[in-house]
Amino acid sequence: MGDLLFNFTEWLRGTPLTDLALAMSESAPTLWIGEHFWSIPIVQVIHILAIAASFASILMINARILRLAGSSTLEETTTRYVRVIWWALVVLVLSGLVMIVGEPIRALINAVFWVKMTVFVIAIVFTVWFHKRVARRFAGGAEASAGAKAAGILLVILWCMIMTGGRWIAYNPG
Amino acid sequence: MSFYPEPTNIWESIEYSTLGITIAESTWMFPTLETIHVIALVTVLGMIAIVDLRLIGVGSRQLAVTKLSKDTLPWVWGAFALAAMSGGLLFVSKASSYVINPYFLWKMVMLTLAGFNMMYFHFFTYRTVEHWDLDPTVPIGAKIAGGLSLVFWLLVVFFGRAVGFTLGIFY
Repeated sequence: MGDLLFNFTEWLRGTPLTDLALAMSESAPTLWIGEHFWSIPIVQVIHILAIAASFASILMINARILRLAGSSTLEETTTRYVRVIWWALVVLVLSGLVMIVGEPIRALINAVFWVKMTVFVIAIVFTVWFHKRVARRFAGGAEASAGAKAAGILLVILWCMIMTGGRWIAYNPG
Repeated sequence: MSFYPEPTNIWESIEYSTLGITIAESTWMFPTLETIHVIALVTVLGMIAIVDLRLIGVGSRQLAVTKLSKDTLPWVWGAFALAAMSGGLLFVSKASSYVINPYFLWKMVMLTLAGFNMMYFHFFTYRTVEHWDLDPTVPIGAKIAGGLSLVFWLLVVFFGRAVGFTLGIFY
């Protein structure tokens, strides 16, 4: 796994991403962030708060799907928390972009970062699907099917993978 | 044979213990513990925020406070136990650096304040919950508890993150 990520990072160094990251490093926003010590930690705190909002929402939807919690119908519970997930995603993307601008080379020339982004895109597509298809069947007080239960648990796993990726960006081999 | 100096205080004794050295010398243990810590703390944070936001009147206003508490508390306690254990192991591996880091100490202060706030709410304010369980607007004492909790936990995260950027720069 370490070798694979190392080689992936090596490969990234040969792509135009390196030129992009180097060009970004000279830009005014990157320089500004570099000069302001607290900017990165503060943006990370915002990022963490948004993850907390979306992850807790996913857990609450799951708890309701599995009938472990909630007094509302499955439809009400899903509507309530999916809205939180979308707003949290906006904050996650914006704060994430600030972090990329802040440290372009550390982020873009980093195998773990791209693994995280891949899982992130999968999770978003999956959440849209969950929202449009799975949650629609909850209308009228219906309970979750076996498929919906599996989908809910898969969402939890995907988010755990995203968070793992987020932490390991700092430990990318290479 | 040990390559580590003789401990001169309790924190060094912890850091140079077999457990501390094992974590510090491993390439993967520290980041893995951090990952567990992050997943656990966002769970604590998110679940606590659901109740706090209900108390200050921002979200879930039509839901019973008791029901929301009952649904979120198992997550909070389970995840808090996980965060405390993973955090404890992270601490052991660099104990003497953490105890002299002011942000780490502030984080502990904020955790303590969050704990006292929760205890006060639970043992005093919450005793009358049957009278306002379903009210969209709760008594001022409960609102203050919710607001303080959000502030304390926000500061826990901020100081926690600050530790990561300043560990080792204090002597």
